[in-house]
Amino acid sequence: MPNIVLLNNVDHKDLRVITRHGAQFGDRQMWATTFPAEFRDVQACYPIVFRKTTDGLGFEPVALFGFQEEENLFLDGQRWDAPYVPLMIERQPFLIGVNGSELMVHIDADSPRVSRDEGEPVFLPLGGNSEFLERASSMLLSIHQGLQATPALLSALLQHELLESFVLDVELNDGSQNRLVGFYTINEDKLAALDADAVAALHRAGHLHSIYMVLASLSNFRMLIDRKNAAHA
Amino acid sequence: MVRRIVIVGGGSAGWLTAGLIAADHQGSSLHITLIESPDIAPIGVGEGTWPSMRDTLRRIGVSESDFFRECDASFKQGSRFNRWANGTDNDYYFHPFVLPQGHGEVNLPEQWQAQHPGIPFADLVSYQPHLCVNGRAPKQVVTPEFSSVANYGYHLDAGKFGVFLRKHCLEKLGVHYVPDNVVGISSHDNGDIAALHTQSHGALEGDLFIDCTGMQSLLLGKHYAVPFLSQKHVLYNDSALAVQIPYPDDNHPIASQTSSTAQSAGWIWDIGLPTRRGVGHVYSSAHIGDEQAEAELRRYIVDTGGPRDIPSPRKLSFNPGYRERFWHRNCVAIGLSAGFIEPLEASALALAEMSAAMVSDELPATRAAMDIVAARFNEAFTYRWERVIDFLKLHYVLSQRRDSDYWRDNTAAVPDRLNDLLTLWRHRAPSRNDFNRIEEVFPWASYQYVLYGMGFRSEFMNPQPRQAALADGYFREAAELTHKMLGGLPDNRTLIHHIKRHGLQKI
Repeated sequence: MPNIVLLNNVDHKDLRVITRHGAQFGDRQMWATTFPAEFRDVQACYPIVFRKTTDGLGFEPVALFGFQEEENLFLDGQRWDAPYVPLMIERQPFLIGVNGSELMVHIDADSPRVSRDEGEPVFLPLGGNSEFLERASSMLLSIHQGLQATPALLSALLQHELLESFVLDVELNDGSQNRLVGFYTINEDKLAALDADAVAALHRAGHLHSIYMVLASLSNFRMLIDRKNAAHA
Repeated sequence: MVRRIVIVGGGSAGWLTAGLIAADHQGSSLHITLIESPDIAPIGVGEGTWPSMRDTLRRIGVSESDFFRECDASFKQGSRFNRWANGTDNDYYFHPFVLPQGHGEVNLPEQWQAQHPGIPFADLVSYQPHLCVNGRAPKQVVTPEFSSVANYGYHLDAGKFGVFLRKHCLEKLGVHYVPDNVVGISSHDNGDIAALHTQSHGALEGDLFIDCTGMQSLLLGKHYAVPFLSQKHVLYNDSALAVQIPYPDDNHPIASQTSSTAQSAGWIWDIGLPTRRGVGHVYSSAHIGDEQAEAELRRYIVDTGGPRDIPSPRKLSFNPGYRERFWHRNCVAIGLSAGFIEPLEASALALAEMSAAMVSDELPATRAAMDIVAARFNEAFTYRWERVIDFLKLHYVLSQRRDSDYWRDNTAAVPDRLNDLLTLWRHRAPSRNDFNRIEEVFPWASYQYVLYGMGFRSEFMNPQPRQAALADGYFREAAELTHKMLGGLPDNRTLIHHIKRHGLQKI
């Protein structure tokens, strides 16, 4: 269980954060939440698909790293083998918390990334913010703002019935069968059949851009399968 | 050409029929009118459905979330029978909607008797009785509308259901609504109905007339005098006392199944809706008086945690049976106008759904085609009513209760076909060969659930020990699914609350 506390330069004055990757730091994740402002970078490396949030209230876009729980095909020892790492991964162990209208940086104090003797210092010797912390908080702000755009995109997708569930059956070189289920993608037939008014409305709201980024991202499935085959070899 | 359809009667059967035909033929030139008497209240019992209702509602095009919000609906995962086999306190069994794990793959009853004779059959082969005992819902908040984790039907408020369907039929499906009384019928020379005369809307002409007038059977029974085949000599129940009772508090658990508890001369149904329980005693007036029936009902309510003070129960009387034909000339009866047996196993709405679907699927293009369709319809539904009677009688004839004339008398008057089946089942399990129509009313799994739930045991003549390992795998599978589902499924009230507040997703 994460232990989330407000970050402050008294309790956390000696705190350091380990920035390298690894299974021991919780990087063995199958997916990470993403958001429209990040789609351009994410689609260059990962398939973007949608999943249901467990509260049953909606959907969220995610960058996919593997085909089953706890499988991250981009994790190579201490290295994350991709030119871009999604911000929801990069931000670890920091989180944003809202206090009234104020955004505050929080930290998971029990995260394996948190250390006293290794990694990047969070505060300067006299208590000022380190450059590392400044970068982290600007990242948190990008995430916070980016996530605000997700509900409008999803409601447009649902309104035009553009989301559909899909099943991906993958046969690996060794003959083993793998099935990816539980995710959703854009229904291209329905997208192609939209009338001009609907397309214009999606375009004006900026959603058309996101939709095509998602579609383009699907070619990364081929690369993901290659990685899976390599991992099995 | 058959273009104008006139439906008489606006209960569940009438609006389901109107909705199905209108939804299936949207965009055609079909003109559908429903006449509903403002003076006759729908009978409004029949609060349990089968899983088929999910397909029916989806086909009509309503949202399942709206259905839950507007019909006081809850989930039904099957039936629980108390005191039916021998009348003792620990006598109960389930007839769940989910088919047994490994059904059709291996002789489950034989391996159950050989390996686990001490475990109730349904509890061994299915996860669903365990979901019911634990009050779990059959799906999660992320499961889309009309999809299931465990197969389910509904419990619903029949009065609200009619209003819900009417709204959809009028607002979305273009059904024409005539709130009026039928006062006369005019005929063509060949005996077809030409028009129905109403008090204030004049004559309504049609090509096909659908009789959904309930037990009065205005067109098929009264006008055409199609004979009624009473089944009282087989199934004795002809009376019911129904009452609605409140929960002790707003967060009281909602049951996952219809409970049926056997009494001295009938049985008591118990249906949990989100806002109340619907409880009723259905009994044979030849075996027990109304007063004693009411006393048994009151005792049951108190025994199951209900109040001592209940409103006066509503009395319903019926003659169990069905019509010799359902489709006669240009008139077809759907719902209680076609027949009614008793609420055991809740077949009434299911038969109405099947009838409406067949009328819609086979809607004859011409008058000449109509006679052919009518003959097929009559054959199909005569078979279905006979199977309903066999299946209901199965519950009674297997009982070992001999504590009243009712139960003693019930061992008699077994229909020939059922007798033959029971002879076969003495040495083998109910199989697909016993029920080989494409659309059977009850699947053969249901006969296994009831047969073995009631304490019947087959003496298998040619045991197949090689199946033991295979069956064991399925028994384990059922146990694993039970464990997994109990860990992941919410309780009924939590899920219904979520649906009312947020709705279910469409995908």
